[in-house]
Amino acid sequence: MAKFQWLQHKTEHGPLSQLWASFRQQHSAVIGLILFGFFGLIALFGPLLTPYDPYLQNPDVLLLPPSWDDMGDVRYLLGTDDLGRDQFSRLIKGASYTFGIALITALGALLLGLLLGVLAGMSKGFRASVFNHILDLALTIPSLLLAIIIVAILGPGLMNTIWAIMLALLPQFVHGIRNTILQQLEQDYVVAYRLDGANNWQILRHVIFPNTWEQLTVLFSMALSTAILDIAALGFLGLGAQAPAAEWGLMVADALDLIYLSPWSIALPGLLIFIAVLSVNLVSDGLRTAVRKRQES
Amino acid sequence: MIWHYLIRRLFLLSFVFFALTCFAFSLGHLFPGDALVNFSGIQQPDDELLPILVQQYQLDNGYLQQYIAFLQRILQGDWGLSLASQQPVLHELMQVFPATLELVAYALLISFVLGVPLGLLAAIKVNHWSGRAISTIALLGYSLPIFWWALLMIMLFSIGLGWFPTSGRISVLYEIPVVTGFMLPDILLSGQTYWQAAMQDAIRHLWLPAFVLATYPTTVMIRFTRDAMLNVWQQSYIKTARAKGLRRSQVLYRHALRNAMLPVLRQLGLQFSTLVTLAMISELIFSWPGIGLWLLDSISQRNYPAIQGGLLVISSLVILVNILMDILHTLLNPLARKQANG
Amino acid sequence: MLLLDIRNLTLELETSQGLIRAVDRVSLSLREGEIRGLVGESGSGKSLIAKAIVGVLNQRWRIKADRFHWCGVDLLQLPYDQQRKIIGRDIAMIYQEPSKCLDPTALIAEQLHESIPNSQLKGSWWNRARQKRKKAIALLHKVGIKEHQSVLESYPYQLSEGVCQKVMIAMAIAKNPKLLIADEPTTALEASTQAQLFRLISSLNQLKSMSVLLISNELDSIARYTHRLSVLYCGQLVESGETAKLLAQPYHPYTDALIKSVPEFQPDLAPKSQLYALPGSIPTLQHLPVGCRLGPRCPNARRECVHTPSLERKQHHYFSCHFPLQYKEPR
Repeated sequence: MAKFQWLQHKTEHGPLSQLWASFRQQHSAVIGLILFGFFGLIALFGPLLTPYDPYLQNPDVLLLPPSWDDMGDVRYLLGTDDLGRDQFSRLIKGASYTFGIALITALGALLLGLLLGVLAGMSKGFRASVFNHILDLALTIPSLLLAIIIVAILGPGLMNTIWAIMLALLPQFVHGIRNTILQQLEQDYVVAYRLDGANNWQILRHVIFPNTWEQLTVLFSMALSTAILDIAALGFLGLGAQAPAAEWGLMVADALDLIYLSPWSIALPGLLIFIAVLSVNLVSDGLRTAVRKRQES
Repeated sequence: MIWHYLIRRLFLLSFVFFALTCFAFSLGHLFPGDALVNFSGIQQPDDELLPILVQQYQLDNGYLQQYIAFLQRILQGDWGLSLASQQPVLHELMQVFPATLELVAYALLISFVLGVPLGLLAAIKVNHWSGRAISTIALLGYSLPIFWWALLMIMLFSIGLGWFPTSGRISVLYEIPVVTGFMLPDILLSGQTYWQAAMQDAIRHLWLPAFVLATYPTTVMIRFTRDAMLNVWQQSYIKTARAKGLRRSQVLYRHALRNAMLPVLRQLGLQFSTLVTLAMISELIFSWPGIGLWLLDSISQRNYPAIQGGLLVISSLVILVNILMDILHTLLNPLARKQANG
Repeated sequence: MLLLDIRNLTLELETSQGLIRAVDRVSLSLREGEIRGLVGESGSGKSLIAKAIVGVLNQRWRIKADRFHWCGVDLLQLPYDQQRKIIGRDIAMIYQEPSKCLDPTALIAEQLHESIPNSQLKGSWWNRARQKRKKAIALLHKVGIKEHQSVLESYPYQLSEGVCQKVMIAMAIAKNPKLLIADEPTTALEASTQAQLFRLISSLNQLKSMSVLLISNELDSIARYTHRLSVLYCGQLVESGETAKLLAQPYHPYTDALIKSVPEFQPDLAPKSQLYALPGSIPTLQHLPVGCRLGPRCPNARRECVHTPSLERKQHHYFSCHFPLQYKEPR
């Protein structure tokens, strides 16, 4: 019995459970995580939930206000747009565009960044120096501007936006990962492991990765919020997803002409972008605090 | 010693500019369409002009010669013609650039004046409701998509309350001759009889875009100041200073503030690029005649020479600010000086 | 009169696993003009006690004591501001890593100047700066720094750890404190500088009759300089008394083990014989044994040791053990 308890005690001190323990203590972070999961689920199963086809145009119900308004119709919960499409369905559909695609983009950038970051972190001398300078250059060009340029080359469209944002997010990933790896390489336990005869790959696999995944999650969450904002901004600028796609940023742009007639059709998609970014930032902040607490104790 | 560092920075700067011009040059070939048109901006050169242009742009020769010719043109100020207006790109840039600088400068000013004290307050009152409230507001502001925020502000203050105009820098009623390109100084210099009214009008136009644009840098400033301050406050030298018997305010002012502001300064340089992007979007929404609006128009018009020029100017601005901040940081921070020398 | 009189000081840390009692009913008293050594392994709570005395423990710690007197005033009863005022006036402290305790962005001159209290300056405010500079130079001379000019105009990173520690001492003695707490002042320094600093501290003690609380984890390095010693183990006071007597006749098995582990204290140790050491290692803070915390490692432990022994007194010699070592083993 005593032994069993001792084991239980031990597992509570693993880095993951410690991290979770201090993450759980922050209410705002937990709320963020719940929201995040909620958006993730909607992005995945959205098409099953929509009451109408998000692209179905119904000329009988143009510009209906939300259902709680006097003029509203309860069948169209959040009203309709100027083509008579159901806002609620479009907003749900938008989750898989704005949120889901941002998630995929950030993941892709993470993987690419990991590859390049490891190469940059493990290389030395002239190669590393050239790499650093190019990276510095890439970091100074604003990610959205870079994305805009890339879209300008490739032409507007959702697929091109994904590539553009992935490329635009890459520098900060490479930079972050390279710095973490360099920091790890200076640690005494890495030197000790190297003295034991480990090669670069073994050091990466057994020492550096287990010690950097926290950093990676934090980087990822920060990149994710940038990705959501960038996809929405490109959609808004007319460079990203093209009409009639129900992308949130594009929906705001579509409703721009109706700002006097139906302000809610600007307010709602923007609100969703805001909440999605907020949830990611809450999780990101909570993670960072938890990581710092764990490292301090 | 410090000269050594400055010279190294200068080398870095020239390298970055080299890479940047390489990138801008390659855009001419990467953009869809004919490279000649992309570089020169002349849509349909006639048979007389064509050989001259090919000769001038070295398009018959290898990329190296082309690049050298490109560099020469850039340095001489011949940035090609805008495809849309057939005006020289550089001339158009010079007209729109000051408007952007003005907007960004006011936004930065607001973010500094508001962000730093609020961040300090949030750090000092970290467990108090006021500190929490500041942190929460900062997080909310940090998550706002700027185009939506700008539209909300327009809906509230322009359409709803009618306090501020929705677009432009100044009402068309007032005719202000362009001297510096910056609106407020220009009004002062104009010597018109209605300059006071014009000033009021210009400020009313400035309010909303500057406030919207300042939201992001202000929240970033609050967050960084707070984090840096909390970090510094735990250092041993702060404890030593307290143990000396200094008052809290003395410790804050003499030791904590200087150490905390150094990383904030550095972040300011890094955040400048984001600020410029956001400025582009807010210019679009408020029809602010700046470089962002001009560039976005150029993109939708496939105006490649203009995109090239706009990219060059914006990136150079960002890089210059970055390196200036880095130098300032090094000059103010003895520890960074040590690394710079050693 | 007693300068510092602490009775049954208990420090508890709030963690997710409940309260951890890091310091358990430690008593400590200091007379004017004495050098008191506080010895214990790392984690035995000696730095915590020092921090509790100068009042810089953070909010997570709970401080309890039956008596916490400074010059006859109970500090724990005072409001925070007054507490800080008294401590700021009378007690100075120097730390382990001197270079980290100096503001990296301020010149040494600035930092020394601000540690000189205005009450020491005479005359009008316009020649205060000059007076401060003069005082600062005098302070640097006192701690044995001759190149005052270059040191004053340096940033901390330009100085070696030893010089930094001397600057810290100069800053500490600027206000003529009644007590100097030195928390492992020499761990970051090389041996020759260590001896220099200890000599400096003991000469300051003699010249200015300033009491010193010297904290270290090495008994042998501070034994020469202290008048009295207190030995801590896992947050419990195991023994305290005059240094010479304590070294000659320890009553507590832990003190005994500590002394026996140092070759210099045993002139007749046979060549190539093993040094004495207690079995096992110190427990972590989460797994402290009940009663006498040395219990599981003690060679003389018996059933009674699950109760915490009370502090017993023999003349000026205090120890807390149920089964004290009564006499020194015959030679």
